Amino acid sequence: MIVGEQKTLDEIMGLLGDAHKVLVAGCGTCVTVSFAGGEKEVGILASQLRMRSKLEGHPMEVDEVTVQRQCEWEYIDPLAPRLGEYDVILSLACGIGVQAMNERFPDSITLPGVNTVFLGMPVEQGIWEERCQACGDCILGLTAGICPIARCSKQLLNGPCGGSQNGVCEVNPDIPCAWQLIWERAVKLGREEWLLEIQPPKDWSKSRDGGPRKIVRDDLRLADME
Amino acid sequence: MKYAADLLEQVGLERERVRMVNISSAMGAQFAELVTEMSEQLKGLGPSPLRVDD
Ligand code: SF4
Repeated sequence: MIVGEQKTLDEIMGLLGDAHKVLVAGCGTCVTVSFAGGEKEVGILASQLRMRSKLEGHPMEVDEVTVQRQCEWEYIDPLAPRLGEYDVILSLACGIGVQAMNERFPDSITLPGVNTVFLGMPVEQGIWEERCQACGDCILGLTAGICPIARCSKQLLNGPCGGSQNGVCEVNPDIPCAWQLIWERAVKLGREEWLLEIQPPKDWSKSRDGGPRKIVRDDLRLADME
Repeated sequence: MKYAADLLEQVGLERERVRMVNISSAMGAQFAELVTEMSEQLKGLGPSPLRVDD
């Protein structure tokens, strides 16, 4: 899932500037489960905005809405009729949701209330870790199911590097060395041979280096195909 | 609880305005004592600036 983190109230107040009427718009999918922008966070932030703006002497009128997914037209389209009344929409979705809102409703201003941080998962209650970089060419089948692109600080394809010490990455003692994890798992599975082949340089053109990516599935499209 | 107090502080209110205690229904005297203590604390802080001009 996409993991996000709410911006500070100070930063959000700064972004909102002198807006009088604000709609705080949450998203019921990824940011709900990362506790950054779901219905509950929308309610808390909206109350904070009402209180803080009142204390600062320019009370804002703040409404709340949470849609199932802000990154799909069909879920945000029903918002259209009411958006005209707001000076600003503060989206608590990920960057995709914020852009979807701006693209679909070009006459309204949608600002981000959340920082989109990574693709990952909750490893325990209250702790999220990065797991995937969406590189466009999955190599988990070669690396014992542990991704060195997302989890090795240097994105090495043939690790570990000389900085791996007692299972810990030299970049930060809080980072387990991905290549140590890969090696240990391969040994445990009796599949050390997975790691004996030297991996050639990765084709990064399938990742962001090839520019923004796009997938087209003609079999799924509704428009008439020639 | 720390989270709720932090939220208040970000808004600009004193974090002492919110408090949570764990107390059983059989502890009437202690409950009364805590409520008195809390209301004294709130009196000390004065009315919430959000309410004054309501
Ligand atoms: S110590 Fe491990 S995780 Fe860190 S850069 Fe080297 S191989 Fe990657």
